[in-house]
Amino acid sequence: MSTTKQQPHQSTDDPRVTLDRDLGVFEPIPPYPTRTEREAEFYTLADGEMLINMGPQHPSTHGVLRVVLKLDGEKVVDLDPVLGYLHRGVEKLCENADYHQAICYTDPLEYVSALFNEWAPVMAFEKLLDVQVPRRAEYIRVLSGELNRIASHALFMGWMALDLGGLTPILWSFIERDEIVDMLAALTGQRMLFNYFRIGGVNGDLNHEFMSRLGDWMSRATEQIDNNMGLLNENEIFVRRMRGLGTIDTATALRMVMSGPNLRATGVPFDVRRAHPYSVYPELEFDIPTRSEGDCLARYLLRLDEVRQSIRIIDQCLHQMPDGPVMAKLPRLLRPRPGRAYAAVEGPRGQYATYAVSDGTDQPFRMRIHDPSFIHLQAVGVMMPGHLLADTMAIMASLDPIMGGVDK
Amino acid sequence: MTVISKSWNRLTLPGKVIFTALPLLGALTIGLVVAVVLLGGILVDLAAANLEVVRFLVAATAILLITVPTAFLIIYMEMKIIALMNLRLGPDRVGPAGSALSVVHGLKVLMKEDFTPTGADPLVFTWAPVVTYLASVMTLLVIPFAPGFFGQDINLGLLYFFAIGGLSVVGLLMAGWSSYNKYSLLGGLRSAAQVVSYEIPLTLSVVGLILLAGTMSLNQMVENQSGWFTSWYIFRQPLGALIFFIAAAAEANRTPFDLTEADSEIVAGFATEYSGMRFGFFFFAEYVNVFIVSALTVTLFFGGWNAPFPFPEITLALDPGSLGIGLLLLILIVPPLLTVIFAAPIWLVSNSIKGWQALLGGFVLANLFLMAVIGAVAFIGIEWVSGLLWFLGKTYAFVFLFVWMRGTLPRVRVDQLMDFAWKWLLPAALLNLFVTAVAIVVVS
Amino acid sequence: MDRAFKARLETRFGATLTGPVRQRHDETEMRIGAGDVVPVLTALHDEPDLHFEFLADLAGVDTGEVMQVVYHLWSETTPDWLRVIADGLSREDPRVPSATFLWKGAEWMEREAYDMFGIIFEGNRDLRRIYMPPDYASFPLRKDFFLPDDAARSPGGGVRPMERTQAPSNVPTTALVRRGGA
Repeated sequence: MSTTKQQPHQSTDDPRVTLDRDLGVFEPIPPYPTRTEREAEFYTLADGEMLINMGPQHPSTHGVLRVVLKLDGEKVVDLDPVLGYLHRGVEKLCENADYHQAICYTDPLEYVSALFNEWAPVMAFEKLLDVQVPRRAEYIRVLSGELNRIASHALFMGWMALDLGGLTPILWSFIERDEIVDMLAALTGQRMLFNYFRIGGVNGDLNHEFMSRLGDWMSRATEQIDNNMGLLNENEIFVRRMRGLGTIDTATALRMVMSGPNLRATGVPFDVRRAHPYSVYPELEFDIPTRSEGDCLARYLLRLDEVRQSIRIIDQCLHQMPDGPVMAKLPRLLRPRPGRAYAAVEGPRGQYATYAVSDGTDQPFRMRIHDPSFIHLQAVGVMMPGHLLADTMAIMASLDPIMGGVDK
Repeated sequence: MTVISKSWNRLTLPGKVIFTALPLLGALTIGLVVAVVLLGGILVDLAAANLEVVRFLVAATAILLITVPTAFLIIYMEMKIIALMNLRLGPDRVGPAGSALSVVHGLKVLMKEDFTPTGADPLVFTWAPVVTYLASVMTLLVIPFAPGFFGQDINLGLLYFFAIGGLSVVGLLMAGWSSYNKYSLLGGLRSAAQVVSYEIPLTLSVVGLILLAGTMSLNQMVENQSGWFTSWYIFRQPLGALIFFIAAAAEANRTPFDLTEADSEIVAGFATEYSGMRFGFFFFAEYVNVFIVSALTVTLFFGGWNAPFPFPEITLALDPGSLGIGLLLLILIVPPLLTVIFAAPIWLVSNSIKGWQALLGGFVLANLFLMAVIGAVAFIGIEWVSGLLWFLGKTYAFVFLFVWMRGTLPRVRVDQLMDFAWKWLLPAALLNLFVTAVAIVVVS
Repeated sequence: MDRAFKARLETRFGATLTGPVRQRHDETEMRIGAGDVVPVLTALHDEPDLHFEFLADLAGVDTGEVMQVVYHLWSETTPDWLRVIADGLSREDPRVPSATFLWKGAEWMEREAYDMFGIIFEGNRDLRRIYMPPDYASFPLRKDFFLPDDAARSPGGGVRPMERTQAPSNVPTTALVRRGGA
């Protein structure tokens, strides 16, 4: 007697499912009828221009980003970034979660510098709850944050070189990043999405493993970074490709609401750590590097300078670290009184902020995440016209966007 | 029966394959040998009647035997050396230290689906990789590998080389245009512009050399550089050599001039729509090109197959036949004797190595020793062996240099590339030519 | 907390404010009506003693009863963040003038607010969806959005238990009143 096998139910056989092939061929360019002025301006081609799609799958857009370029030969006339390929609905998810759970959702936004993604919401919730964070916890936050900043900038340098064609610097910068990330893994338990900051402090004190790795690293940090990253500084090809590229002047940068190293490279010394000090930054001594050219090379060199300042801050943190608890005493169930709070931190890419609205329940009513990469991608459209296709990648890399943050 | 089926089931898949294939292979070999012995006479007559076909087959075999292993070796070198420069390991699983990876890649490329994209022009699409590969491979005709080892000694060898090498741009344009893809079009046009611009400094840089050597024949040039290494043309045409090297790197689409395949910008450039063996052709053509420009640099400027210093002529009057029955005894006695001689120290030194393991080690060492002896005899006595080895050594040194450049340098932008060719290399090449001509007139 | 700043704001904008100026920790908050956005923002940006030339954030908020657009600004003249809440936008037809005439970088932030809430920013040259596909039929961050079915194409959606309708626990009941034809 033979038993017939149960036929597997194919989803393609289900009449209720509409397959893409029945919808017709998807024509991305030109889109659905143009509705806005800008779309009409962009998708009307003059003589000799062509639209090329640097699609979401591309070896060098920093994540899933789709850019429609209007080219005149090799020269880029205009560009239109299309976002949303990594949109995960984090803001809506946070509305349905606890205050503690909401912080876990924010980690993967700018995954390369995850601690800053946690820092801003944690600060906003602490303002809503009127919680005083112990000083030791603040110092640990600054210490781990600055380490994360160095790791993020090291990765930026690797990417920058990779987009210009050099295969080696990215692997060397991963060595840098690996050391720091291992250190932070010893501290937080995780290598990339740390989930370390809590409302009222941090999740665990410094331990021996972390301190020994940190001490070992600090003793050779400056020299190592200068060696590895200095590979590119004097390379003629590299410098010639980046100098004068993607220049943006101060007035335009301020109009485009840029922040962070991209704004400081145009000459404006605006750093949230000094402009609107938070945590224990008023007690730490550090400079704000600024450059005035506003081109890719300036942004690149500025981030190198910032790495040195970060090392200085870490040094001071280690010396000034007070004793005490690392977590404030808080009830398990957090119900802040209705109100609103805004908190901003200086992330490696710029001002990273959270606006939290509470309605008295144990879930945030609205959690708005303001991400710097999102703002800076608008600026690409302003910097690009006139440059060549090969420069698109270089300019986007120099602005250092992370698509997780852009798309939320 | 059950014993056989049980033991058959216990074999792994490779075991099953070997178990069935080996006897079949043995039978096939025996059958082939018998057929050749029986029909040998007829085959030879057939070949003599169709000499052209035989020559074609021999030439095709020779080309495959030269280009395919060369490409595999250069691909492996590139992967491994760039990996080591990147402080990572590179291929290390397939074969000893990953050396069989290229072969596996070659097989993989053969097994992929072969399609033509919708909208592409099928004829042009199919012929583009062929044209590119042809352009690379046809230049092998004139390169002197060793004294007596060359395709043809054309007295316009250098001119032939540049003329045929310029055909590759046709292949690239065909690929870029027929792919029906804007990325490919951009890549193809960029590459056409690049190759055409850099051909001019390339050819001009060697005109000075032609004036010095008095001939365009590559064989003649190599013979002119015999003797001590001070007679190599690099010392008399340093600027020309430098321009040639840079322009050759651009011709071969190597970093820093590899914008045609800049995979961080236009995916794979002109080859975006190619897959399978068609892409394999482009890939092969590129690496054979690397070999060829290195070979040409060595031929023109670094002495070709000459050693850096003149070896004394040693003719070994070896006549194995004169030994008579002694030859048979030699072949029977020497290998086992050597095996035992090499096995004895191994067995004596270590406690844990058993007798048969020591013999095995001894066997391997004996083989290596014999190979070394024969190699040394060939190197000293037979002229073309030493010439070939010197030539290959120097060529691969330059291939290593190309690979090193790829691992270190970023890419130039297309307008900077054209800038460099027309505003810097071309005047430099002209200057070189002028100075050489004046020097020749003054000296003579 | 900058008390003097609160006084300055009340003197300057007294008439247009629709609520008291509140201060908490290091933030000052003022509420205005949707029609007053242009004069207020221009005044904040241009006047030398206010000089709020950095727009830190532009967000939409759906309170369940009304919609709001919240601007956060920074200036060197005060250590506080300034929050300007353009309150009282109706949930059926939320319209507010665009801030792109002052800051071009507000364009995408307004696009996001449009995409997530449906707030129309008049004067924004490029008001189209930014995260959702261009033919999406709903506004995800609204409080009455909790079912993807009204926006997705798939006729088979909602079949599995996890896809069935269920309002989240913290949606205000006022938001759930079904409007005719929604």
